[in-house]
Amino acid sequence: MSFITLEELEMTYGSNGTSATALRGVSVAIARGEYAVITGESGAGKSTLLCILGGLQLPTGGRITIDGVDLSTLRADALADFRGKTIGFVFQAYHLLPYLTARENVMVPMAPEKGSAAGKWARADALLASVGLAGKEERLPSQLSGGECQRVAIARALVHDPPILLADEPTGNLDSGTGDQILDLFARLHGQGKTILVVTHNRANVERGTRSIHLRDGRVDEDRFLAARPAGQAGRGIPPERRT
Amino acid sequence: MNIRTLARKNLLRRKSRAVFTGLGIFLGIGTFVAISSITMQMEGAVRDKLDRYGANILVTPRTEQLSLGFGDIALGGTQVSHGRLTAADEQAIRSIPLGERIRLAVPWFLSAADASGKNLVWMGVRPVDLAESRPWWKVDGAEIGGKDDVILGFEAAAALDKGPGGTLESGGRTFRVAGILKPTGEKEDGMVIADIAAVRELAGVKDGVTFFEVAALCRECPIEDIVREIGAKMPGAKVSAIRSVVESRKAAVDQFRRLGLGVSAIVLGIGGLMVFVTIMGNVQERTREIGILRAVGFRRRAIRSLLFWETGWIALAASAAGALAGAGAAIAASPLFGIARGAVEWRAMALGTVLGVSLGLLGTIPPARRAAALSPTEAIRSL
Repeated sequence: MSFITLEELEMTYGSNGTSATALRGVSVAIARGEYAVITGESGAGKSTLLCILGGLQLPTGGRITIDGVDLSTLRADALADFRGKTIGFVFQAYHLLPYLTARENVMVPMAPEKGSAAGKWARADALLASVGLAGKEERLPSQLSGGECQRVAIARALVHDPPILLADEPTGNLDSGTGDQILDLFARLHGQGKTILVVTHNRANVERGTRSIHLRDGRVDEDRFLAARPAGQAGRGIPPERRT
Repeated sequence: MNIRTLARKNLLRRKSRAVFTGLGIFLGIGTFVAISSITMQMEGAVRDKLDRYGANILVTPRTEQLSLGFGDIALGGTQVSHGRLTAADEQAIRSIPLGERIRLAVPWFLSAADASGKNLVWMGVRPVDLAESRPWWKVDGAEIGGKDDVILGFEAAAALDKGPGGTLESGGRTFRVAGILKPTGEKEDGMVIADIAAVRELAGVKDGVTFFEVAALCRECPIEDIVREIGAKMPGAKVSAIRSVVESRKAAVDQFRRLGLGVSAIVLGIGGLMVFVTIMGNVQERTREIGILRAVGFRRRAIRSLLFWETGWIALAASAAGALAGAGAAIAASPLFGIARGAVEWRAMALGTVLGVSLGLLGTIPPARRAAALSPTEAIRSL
C-alpha cells in the first residue's frame, strides 16, 4: 500500500464563470521513504499540489490519502493535528518569525503543547545541532545567513519527527554552494527514512531525488524513478496521462 | 516557549502597535475612572450638602383640621389639637433605634407678640442650631449671641424701620437687633427670630415646642423607617417626611450617575472600537505569520488563544494605567466640581480595570475568529 496516494485530483479556483483549473486529474502514488522532486513551469500546478500534499487545502475533486488517512474526512482542527505530526514544511523564504531567536523559532510548533520549557528547549537545541547550528541558538534570523535560516526552518520542520518533509523551492533563495548543503541535509534525512517531497522549478535539483514528477498545465507530464525504491515498497504509481 | 511567551514576544516586537491598541483602552478606562470617581465623590458631596441643607422630617402636634381655602388664601377651618410638643420630646426623637442617623433635631417655638408696637410672629430657636438648620440664611450684621438678641426678617425690619444695632421693645424687655435677614421669599421675611427661651418667656410658656425639624443623615437613607420609628415613640405627634427634599436628593444623585454612565459608555464604546480596528488590522498584517503557524500545526483555538493573550496583556496594562491616570485626574479635577478633598475611589479603579480587560477581549473576538478561519494557503501566498 502506498504511503501517499493521489487519485484523480482536481483543483479549480474561483466560481461564476471566472474559474481557473490548477490540477486536472493528477494521480500519483508515493511510497514511504521516497525522495520525490516535483518540477514544472510557473502555473503548472506544483504549488497547488504541494498545498494539497501538505494538507493545507483540500482538492475540489479526487482523493488524497496519507498513511491510510483520507484527508477529506478530517475537520480543520484534526487536519491541523495531522499536519503537525505527519508533515514538516520547509519554505523557500524560510518563513521564520523575525522576532524570535533560532531556538525559539524551532520551538514554535511546540508552543501550543503542554510540557516543560526545559524539555522543549533541549529538543530545539538538539535539532539545531543536528542541522549544524550548535552555538547559534540565540541568534535572530537577521543575524543568520540564508543557508542558516533554511537550516533553522528544517529544524523547525523536524520538531515532531514527521515522516514526511515537504519543501517548496528550498534552495531558491540560496547560492549554489549553500543550496547544495541544504540538499545534502535532505539527502541525510532521506537516508534516515523520511519521505521527502520537494517542489522546484530547477530541474538541476532532480538528480538528488529518487523520483521525478514533472507537471505541465495541471497534469503529470512525466513521472520517472531515478533510483531504486526503498525495500519492501511496491509503490505502484497510478499511470499518468503521459509517462516517459 | 508557549502561547503566552509567543504573545509577549510579538508585543515587544510591535511596541508602537501595542501602544496604539492600548491607547483606546487607556483613554476609555481613564475617562471612565475619572468620571466615575468624580461622580461617586459628587454623589457623596451632594448627599452631604442635601443633608446639611436642612430638615427632611417635620414633627408637629397631631391635629385634625378641616381646611377651607384655595391656594394660599385661607378661608378658615376647624382645628382640633390632640396634644402638644415639649422640649423633652427631643430626647424621644433621638432615642429611636435609628437614632444614630439623626444629625439634627431642632425645636422651634412660634408665638405672636408685640415688637415695638407692631404685632409680629416671633420665631424661637436655639442660637446654636440656627446655622445648621438654616445654612442658606444670609444675615447683615451678627448672629443671635444671647437671649436679648434678635434677627429681623427683611420685611419685619422694613416695617419696624430697624437696622443692625437697633433695639426693639417687647413684653417690657429690650432686645438688640443683631442682624437683618436678607430676603428669603419665605414667611420668615416678616418674622422676628430670637432665642427660643426668650420667645417662650414672651409667650408665657415654659418648655413648649411648636414643631421639630429633624435632619437625618441619608446615605442609603431609610427615611421612611425613621419616620415610622419617631411616630411610634411620639404617638401624639404627626411625623412626616418632607418628600420634596428626599425626591430632589434622589433625582440629583441619579442625574449625576446617569451623566457619568452615559459619558463613560460613549468613551468605552470608542475604546472598544479602536481595539477592534487595531486588532483587525493586526490580523491583516500578520496573515502570513498566522498561515505559518497554521502550517506547523497550530489549531484554530491556538491562533485565537494567541490573539487573546496578546490583547489581554495590552488591555491589562492599558486598563491599569488608565485607572491610575483616571484616579489622578479625578483628584486633580475635584476642586472644579466642588469636592473639597479628592480621594482615590478604589471601586472605580477595580471596576475600570476589569472593564478594560473585558473590553479588550470582547474587541478581539471578531478579529480572532477571522484569524482562526484563515486558510493556511491563503495565508502563505508565497507557496
